[in-house]
Amino acid sequence: MADLRTEEFTVNMGPHHPSTHGVCRLVLTLNGEKIIKIEPVIGYLHRALEKICENRTYAQCIPIMDRFEYVTAMSCNYLFSNAAEKLAGIEVPERAEYLRVIMLELNRIASHLIFYGVTAMDIGALTPFLYGLRERELIIDLFEMTCGQRLTYNYIRVGGVSRDIPAEFEPKCREAIKIIREKLIDYEGLLNENPIWLVRNKGIGVLPPELGIAYGVSGPVLRASGVKYDIRKDDPYSIYDRFDFQIPTRENGDCYDRYLLRLDEIKQSLNIVEQALDALPEGDIKAKVSPNFKPPAGEVYSRVENSRGELGVYIQSDGGKKPLRVKMRGGSYNQLQVLPHIGTNCLVADLVAIFASLDVILPEVDR
Amino acid sequence: MTFDELKEYLAANFADDLTLLDTGRHEPVYEVKAEKLVTVCRRLREDETLKFDFFCNLGGVDTGERMEAVYSLASYSKKIRVDLKVILPHEKAEIDSVQEVWPAANWYERELWELYGVHVKNHGNLTRFLLPDDWDQGFPMRKDWDAPDFIRMPEL
Amino acid sequence: MGVIKKLPIYSEKLPGGGLVLTSLEAVINQAQAKSMWYLLFGTACCAIELMCTGASRYDFDRLGMIFRATPRQADLIIAAGTITKKMAPRLRRLYDQMAEPRRVIAMGGCTIKGGPFYYDSYSVEKGIDHIVPVDMYIPGCPPRPESLLEGCIHLQEKIKKQKLSDWQEK
Repeated sequence: MADLRTEEFTVNMGPHHPSTHGVCRLVLTLNGEKIIKIEPVIGYLHRALEKICENRTYAQCIPIMDRFEYVTAMSCNYLFSNAAEKLAGIEVPERAEYLRVIMLELNRIASHLIFYGVTAMDIGALTPFLYGLRERELIIDLFEMTCGQRLTYNYIRVGGVSRDIPAEFEPKCREAIKIIREKLIDYEGLLNENPIWLVRNKGIGVLPPELGIAYGVSGPVLRASGVKYDIRKDDPYSIYDRFDFQIPTRENGDCYDRYLLRLDEIKQSLNIVEQALDALPEGDIKAKVSPNFKPPAGEVYSRVENSRGELGVYIQSDGGKKPLRVKMRGGSYNQLQVLPHIGTNCLVADLVAIFASLDVILPEVDR
Repeated sequence: MTFDELKEYLAANFADDLTLLDTGRHEPVYEVKAEKLVTVCRRLREDETLKFDFFCNLGGVDTGERMEAVYSLASYSKKIRVDLKVILPHEKAEIDSVQEVWPAANWYERELWELYGVHVKNHGNLTRFLLPDDWDQGFPMRKDWDAPDFIRMPEL
Repeated sequence: MGVIKKLPIYSEKLPGGGLVLTSLEAVINQAQAKSMWYLLFGTACCAIELMCTGASRYDFDRLGMIFRATPRQADLIIAAGTITKKMAPRLRRLYDQMAEPRRVIAMGGCTIKGGPFYYDSYSVEKGIDHIVPVDMYIPGCPPRPESLLEGCIHLQEKIKKQKLSDWQEK
């Protein structure tokens, strides 16, 4: 038989594709089913947040930060407030710090629950989506009773938090923790040993630690490759050094490990919330800060660990009431940069699993 | 390693290349000359005591008179962090690519070029990135940038 | 029998079967209103609320709304999230790929007039109504799932009032 003539062809995945979690476009060069080149094209959600922040006062920037990473909007609020506090030298009351930690960790759980549901849905299992979002609503209820919003909270402000938690928060929160702990067993039962899940995830998209480090990957994706790096422990901010929690790591760095690691993180976060609730002191919730405060000229790079890795913000102040420059940095930016390296030579269907397990969220990439 | 120890170590070993900038009480920010950038970065990464192997961030700044590129670096193993600043002229700014030191810098440098117009030498792929492919309105993050449909927020 | 009670209908029982008289308009409108399959077009924050609406607690399916991944099978775009200048041609293309009758819901402030990105943003499209015709605006940043549900119910009411003669003109 004569040689079959084959040629490569190009497929556009996105910007409107249900499994790209937003509006990422991947230009794939295929050889049959096999991917030989991936080129991410981003910018479909570039909303110029940095330009907007340059024209707002520090207090007005916080709602904009909500939209920077809406799945864990509390971390963004905290991040900006923390940076502005460092610039202006503002002390935060003790109670506010505890409330912040409670909210940050609850938000991390909510984000991982979305990951659990959406990843499974991308791979073709619909039930985990319904389970994950059902338990997430419990957490959203807590946020809603505290600050009135479901998604973009604007709760953590420069100098503290915007309002105190209501009286029914604590019992409801403890109940939610109890329910999520119980349901986690269900979650694991659904997927951990599910043969389809194992075939789709085990050994797929392995990220070697050296590659992750070279590309600045952080957060759960890097920890699943065995690098124990968590800003909560390595560069502690807020009052994380007072809590007793572990940094889970995994060895293989494949999609399955990234999934397991996030479930482990939920358990650790639940522990932190419980400890913070037990130790919650009485007192003020906000330092006195003028809404148009002017920090002295200077610059600061502040970073926190959110559910997708290092979330950072660089603020330069020229002494005015508006920042001169706000540069945001999200973990997804680097995770997406590394995708072409771990996604090549796999099948198109596996790329969906890899993309989902990196938990990339596009506003963090595009800003 | 605390910030003071880091400052001492850098003063002892990198005195010729790094100049400590006075930015008040925050983390140390060092100025690097543009022509020395890549060699300094490589030394910082390969130094056994520092090991700055984590490229956190690169942001351009337009202060109105000049351009700045601010590199935020950290170390995965040593728990330290430092910022480097390169000061560039406002017009026709050029900077070397640090991709050979940290591959992660690729997209950050593309962004620096696209939004601020700072040309990155030896980058290899300076193409449209965040903005639409047919964008022809210049570098939008510059302070003096303006366009017909760009509406500024009124002062209250 | 719930449907029959709601329609302007004349029914009579005859031996060996029944006779139902109604206008074609009422039947078509009922069918359209109760099976609006929506295109999964989430770009930003509103997409998360759209997901929540589709999930367990708010249960979008009970309005007959099921998500579709392809515009060819969809009757409705819920534009959930900011549309940037780079994304705008794609939205138009998706809209063009849908079959008539097609409808658009603008969910959230960004799609109505740019929302929080109206001022000082160089890349956000200030309202999607100069890209595609919009049937229903749902304000909020992001709107709660309840408001999305209410918007969809209002859209269904609107569909039920349409006249067959309007369709011929189109």
